[in-house]
Amino acid sequence: MATTTAQITLTSTDIADNALSISNTMTLTTAGTETGLTETTGLARKTIASASLTDLITLNSFQDITALKSAKVYIKNTGTATDKYALIGIGDSGGTPIYVGRLYGGDWLLLPWLALPTDGDGFAASVADGGTYGHANNQDITITMSDSTATVIEYMVFFE
Amino acid sequence: MATTTATLTLTSTDLLTDSLSLSATATLFKAGTTTGLDSIQYERLEVPTGDVYDMIDATAGGANKANKIYIANKGTDATKYVDIYIAALLIGRLYAGDWAFFPLEAAAATQDVGVEAIGAAQVVEFALIHEGKTLVAS
Repeated sequence: MATTTAQITLTSTDIADNALSISNTMTLTTAGTETGLTETTGLARKTIASASLTDLITLNSFQDITALKSAKVYIKNTGTATDKYALIGIGDSGGTPIYVGRLYGGDWLLLPWLALPTDGDGFAASVADGGTYGHANNQDITITMSDSTATVIEYMVFFE
Repeated sequence: MATTTATLTLTSTDLLTDSLSLSATATLFKAGTTTGLDSIQYERLEVPTGDVYDMIDATAGGANKANKIYIANKGTDATKYVDIYIAALLIGRLYAGDWAFFPLEAAAATQDVGVEAIGAAQVVEFALIHEGKTLVAS
């Protein structure tokens, strides 16, 4: 097993009368255990120069290994323009994904990713359901830039 | 304006052949500006099992902006987790000790952030750093 830790430090001295200071460290473990995640995409970069909705990370590569588990996704907008953003979504870039939020220049996120494929009936693909892990695009991670300015997006997936 | 920063440090000495050491710091600005976010909601609550509960209601006041949310599962039993939902879509699991930090679009009133405890009731902390919300008249 590997030991990977993610620490967040969230601080402000003036967002309230009292200072805000949140610090939390987690170890990235496999689902339901204390065993460390051992697989990763490594740190990847993609330059996006289009304002069209597109896939950033496709479920197709992960559906058998992340579904119903404890995968984590890191994404950063490496741009410096604070008036331009990358709108991150989860779903089918050919349809209308659920939008998570906007990463403006310099913003980052770290969130769990269920990467759950569904089958033709719209429910989770499982043996009990009678479904298969056919790629249905339903939990791809999508991205829509605010404009077509070329912007480098960094991402990394930790999975089991 | 306020100055709030969020720093991530990702490290591992044995996940890859070479050490992983990644650091990212973001100053939390209002949408499209260099003015700091100046509103916060910070709570700790126990999430029951059996249903998905709204933790954050998306409101028109915060829609399409640069809100950020931090969520932590404060449990210690590695087999238990909370499911995190956005707009009724299950996006992932936070096992005991896990945290997440992400922007919140809240584009429509239906894009609430929901949580459901699986296995047992669990304590969750969250902080929403935002630039506005629509208050509900009493």
